[in-house]
Amino acid sequence: MRKTNALALAALGTALTMGLAACGGTAGGGNTGSGGGTGAASGAKHNDAYTKVVNPSDAKGGTLKFALSDEPDSMDPGNTYYAWNWNFSRLYARPLMTYAAQPGEAGLKLVPDLAEGPGVASEDGLTWTYKLKKGIKYDDGTEVKAADVKYAIARSNFTDELTDGPKYFAQYLDAEGYKGPYKDKNLDNFKAVETPDDYTVVFKLKEPFAEFDFLVANPQSAPVPQAKDTGLDYEKTVASTGPYKIETHEVGKQFVLVKNENWDPSTDTTRKQLPDRIEVQFKQNAEDIDKRLMAGQIHVDLAGTGVQTAARGQIVGNPQLKDSTDNPYTPFNRYAMLSTKVAPFDNIDCRKAVQYAVDKVATQLPWGGPLGGDIATTAMTPTTVGYKQFDLYPNGADKKGDLAKAKEHLAACGQPNGFETNIAVRGDRTKEVQVAEALQASLDRVGIKASIKKYPSGDWSSQYAGKPDFVHQNKLGIMIAGWGSDWPSGFGFLSQIVDGRFIKASGNYNMMELDDKTINELLDKGIQTTDPAARNEIWAQVDQKVMESAAFLPFVYEKTLIFRPASLTNVYVHPAYGMYDYTWLGVKQ
Amino acid sequence: MEAQPEAVVQGAGGKAIEGRSLGQIAWTRLKRDKAAIAGAVVVVLLTLIAIFAERPFGGLIALFGDSPNTPNNDLLDPLTSVPLADWGGISLEHPLGVEPVNGRDILARILSGAQISLLVAFLATLVSVAIGSLLGVVAGFFGGWVDMLISRLMDIFLAFPLLLFAIAIVGAVPDQALGLKGNALRIAVIVFIIGFFNWPYIARIVRGQTLSLREREFVDAARSLGASRRHIIFREMFPNLVAPILVYSTLLIPTNILFEAALSFLGVGVAEPQASWGGMLTRAVDYYQLAPHFMLVPGLAIFITVMAFNLLGDGLRDALDPRAR
Amino acid sequence: MPGSDPPGHPGRTIVFAFIVRRVIAAVLMLVIVSVATFAIFFLIPRALGQTPEGMAARYVGRDATPEAIQGAVRRLHLDDPLIVQYGRFAQGIVMGQDYSLGPRKAECPAPCFGFSFNNNQPVWPTLLDRLPATVSLAIGASVIWVVGGVSIGVISALRRGTALDRAAMTVALAGVSLPIYFTGLVSLALFAYTLGIFPGGGSYTPFTENPVMWFQSLVLPWITLAFLYAATYARLTRAGMLETMGEDYIRTARAKGLKERTVVTKHALRATLTPILTIFGLDLGLLLGGAVLTESTFSIPGIGKLVIDAIRGNDLPVVLGVTMFAAFFIVLANFIVDVLYAVVDPRVRLS
Repeated sequence: MRKTNALALAALGTALTMGLAACGGTAGGGNTGSGGGTGAASGAKHNDAYTKVVNPSDAKGGTLKFALSDEPDSMDPGNTYYAWNWNFSRLYARPLMTYAAQPGEAGLKLVPDLAEGPGVASEDGLTWTYKLKKGIKYDDGTEVKAADVKYAIARSNFTDELTDGPKYFAQYLDAEGYKGPYKDKNLDNFKAVETPDDYTVVFKLKEPFAEFDFLVANPQSAPVPQAKDTGLDYEKTVASTGPYKIETHEVGKQFVLVKNENWDPSTDTTRKQLPDRIEVQFKQNAEDIDKRLMAGQIHVDLAGTGVQTAARGQIVGNPQLKDSTDNPYTPFNRYAMLSTKVAPFDNIDCRKAVQYAVDKVATQLPWGGPLGGDIATTAMTPTTVGYKQFDLYPNGADKKGDLAKAKEHLAACGQPNGFETNIAVRGDRTKEVQVAEALQASLDRVGIKASIKKYPSGDWSSQYAGKPDFVHQNKLGIMIAGWGSDWPSGFGFLSQIVDGRFIKASGNYNMMELDDKTINELLDKGIQTTDPAARNEIWAQVDQKVMESAAFLPFVYEKTLIFRPASLTNVYVHPAYGMYDYTWLGVKQ
Repeated sequence: MEAQPEAVVQGAGGKAIEGRSLGQIAWTRLKRDKAAIAGAVVVVLLTLIAIFAERPFGGLIALFGDSPNTPNNDLLDPLTSVPLADWGGISLEHPLGVEPVNGRDILARILSGAQISLLVAFLATLVSVAIGSLLGVVAGFFGGWVDMLISRLMDIFLAFPLLLFAIAIVGAVPDQALGLKGNALRIAVIVFIIGFFNWPYIARIVRGQTLSLREREFVDAARSLGASRRHIIFREMFPNLVAPILVYSTLLIPTNILFEAALSFLGVGVAEPQASWGGMLTRAVDYYQLAPHFMLVPGLAIFITVMAFNLLGDGLRDALDPRAR
Repeated sequence: MPGSDPPGHPGRTIVFAFIVRRVIAAVLMLVIVSVATFAIFFLIPRALGQTPEGMAARYVGRDATPEAIQGAVRRLHLDDPLIVQYGRFAQGIVMGQDYSLGPRKAECPAPCFGFSFNNNQPVWPTLLDRLPATVSLAIGASVIWVVGGVSIGVISALRRGTALDRAAMTVALAGVSLPIYFTGLVSLALFAYTLGIFPGGGSYTPFTENPVMWFQSLVLPWITLAFLYAATYARLTRAGMLETMGEDYIRTARAKGLKERTVVTKHALRATLTPILTIFGLDLGLLLGGAVLTESTFSIPGIGKLVIDAIRGNDLPVVLGVTMFAAFFIVLANFIVDVLYAVVDPRVRLS
């Protein structure tokens, strides 16, 4: 993936409570508003915002201040792939569906936002129909029409200009030959989405897709009036449907939102409108952000990826500071893939030898130890629906490797004295390089001599690890990677990285080149299964199969340590985003 | 770009050197210069350390026990990834402490990094000196349009934002090319870039020297005796250019050490896990508040090395040209 | 050199012709730099096997479909022959160019350095926006290093051989031997985080917003940067002073019975400062093109930080723009120094 914080939505699985217990948090209560009861942050404990709303308050006014060390790909809801922006953009853009505003598992339920109710699938599963709520207005007072949703889908998925967001609609909709609204001004030629009247949107699919509601929870379904669209510049003047509208946007510097008077709270079940003003500063120094957070000068680190090492050191050593932090799972699994097409990893026993030889405590350290992630043993993360805990390759009680087992499998593989191989890694990702080094050192203990090959992350997927030809030629046996899904289901998480039919000549994420008929069939079966429980059971089976191949070497289920200043109200970790719900926050005056 | 790589040379290059022959006088002067002798001693020691760091039989690093790439996770606090013990985990086994995140022995990495720093600096200086002396002599000797062309070329090279180019080129280098791969290739590219862009400093000085030598009696004499140009350049003038070239090479080495460190610091130097001083500093940036020793050690290593070469270079220059004192 | 100036005034036409010649040379130099820069960033990747699609893949979202990549190739014109791409780049600088935003076009008046591949903003305004931070850093630091370096150099020269001289020169030598990203980190650790006297990295505030905070945030970077340069200048000044103090005209001045102070300030110092001013011009020119290491270490949002971020993000138009901008300052500084020299010392003009 190109962006570390590229979007993924997460679901809280069974492991949530386990994770919380491990962190000393209080598990339980998932009720919004009622669970908190503490007026001051000083009463809140570490991880409190994980399970309840901290500092509940209805006080209005004030300025909510965000800071970001990076700059966004775009603030245009139709052109962004950053996780935080799928959370943040809801302040000014309402998609058809969205996630319930609840901490814990309840927050993973989809609720209608712009739509009146969930999508209705046809008998054959090939069309999905959504009815829009009536009377929803843009910030200029004009009414939202179904055609605006259609236009939003067309511009975000079918143009040369808006290339930053995902292209799921282009992938699943039946829109063969459509040139996009910038080349073809007549929207009627976009036949994959129909608008029989001003309040009905009908999507036509190539194949049945049972999780379509998840796709329209993506900000790309937020309406855009064709007359207002300025293409790449639209991020400066987005027509707002949410509780806030854009006052100014200086690209790469700052972004200011003010209240949108045309937002009607009675149509909106998930958002609040407490601060008068919301300011975002881009390209701030990461350490300085932490300092300002702890000093209460800003309220939220927008990226939601956690504090830097220096601040972490401070927080760990100070119980009071620690009580102002939460340690949620992110949607990311950090892992390595072993290429099934590069000798000797074409032999499953050599892959198993690596599974047993790895010191998972050492590979956990670069992420920041236990605060940076739990040691992982599966492909799916604990916050994905369908996750089941299992460990096919127990590598010692201390998780530091079972060298005897590893040697057994090396012998079975016909390489009793070990072998030579390469570890490919994105050279500009320090943590991943450190993981590669730790892996190299642990494999060395059983005679596997691995050399580290560094490649630039910009071309990682198009030219190097994502290009099977290159992988074979350069004998890249092990590739360090990470993945977070775009919606919190097994399909969203797994399909891109384990489906054998997704092995691409370039831009390939199934870098282990695992092409297992059973897995492919299970994925097909799952996405056509409408019953969620049965579907989730299938995702767990896929995970089991993937781990049986021994080609997927998980390191950690990533976690972040995020800081909540005492002046912040209505704070809770939204499980779908793995960070605070940005549409709920208020500030104490 | 900071003038750091340039500053040393500019500082020294302000004046031309008279091409007096090396000899007893210079040697006597040098011996009296305690700072220069101290510099020379450190330079010799560092060179020996770099040569014997990993060979033979594991070299100096083996003497101290830990290899530069062995992790020692037991020594780290799992929550913060920094050494558990005070003072960066300094102990008998790890005289300079261990690195955060993976607990690698810092002394072993410093020794291993010394090889890279000195190797790159020496080779890059050789490249600069080769190109610079040749073009400098040609420009100075032939004069006219040749001189003008080469002088303009120097101006153009000096107008390039060198550091940016170096980052861009090193960043664009693939894993395998020219029959080399991995770090061997990266070192070759770094040497080439540093050497190739630094030649004008040497060329400028050599050109000046050549210009003044050209008018000297012994060259005139050779010319009137009908000596060939080749004979005049190589037999008559070159021996007189050796001294200034030597001095400015000594002064160019520390500049190149700093340059290599800057490239490694910016993430385009040699690849981990091979240790390099600049690379160690990059990793120290995240931890400079929690584990300051990890920043201080490689920083001081760079400082001591560069200072030693500067002291020696200054001493050599003063010995050969007392007016500069 | 002053003191040895031959009498007489240079003819205006000769001066004019000289300036014209140097302007032409400077413009030529910029053209060569632009070609070389373009070649390094566009030609070398191609020569190493990079395809237009490979380059475009960096500028689309993470699950780039082949169609999205093709779209980016077309939008950024990466499939055009390199000479056409260079032509467009050069044309933009001289005449401006248009750029497709989708439903409409954006105008980019000359000098147009193109649009960022990453955030689609025109490069030139971004550069201008970053310039004040770099100028603040460069000017402030240069005042400190010129005053500090020259004074130390003069004192050292006058007290030659004393303990003071030796101490000052040792510190100066240490100054040129320390990498700025190391001294920067040490000073941040010491003065910002341990003692809390100055704000830490990333605290730069524009002068127009809050002059006091602007000053506070820049003190550490100024001193750190100035330390490096002051060391060089002290060494240069000392050497220059010692040389001029040995010249005949200084002895003459002394013999005439002038006060030592007058000899030093009126004669020796003035002669020493001329070459130092030359070097100062070049150093300042270099710094205005972006102090990459200092700005990175202290997180100052100047041109140097911009270009490092751009290189890391493969934002070629921004990298090209900054390189040209930096080269422009270097060439300009060279030009000014040349012209000043020619005015001061007519011999230069004639050679």
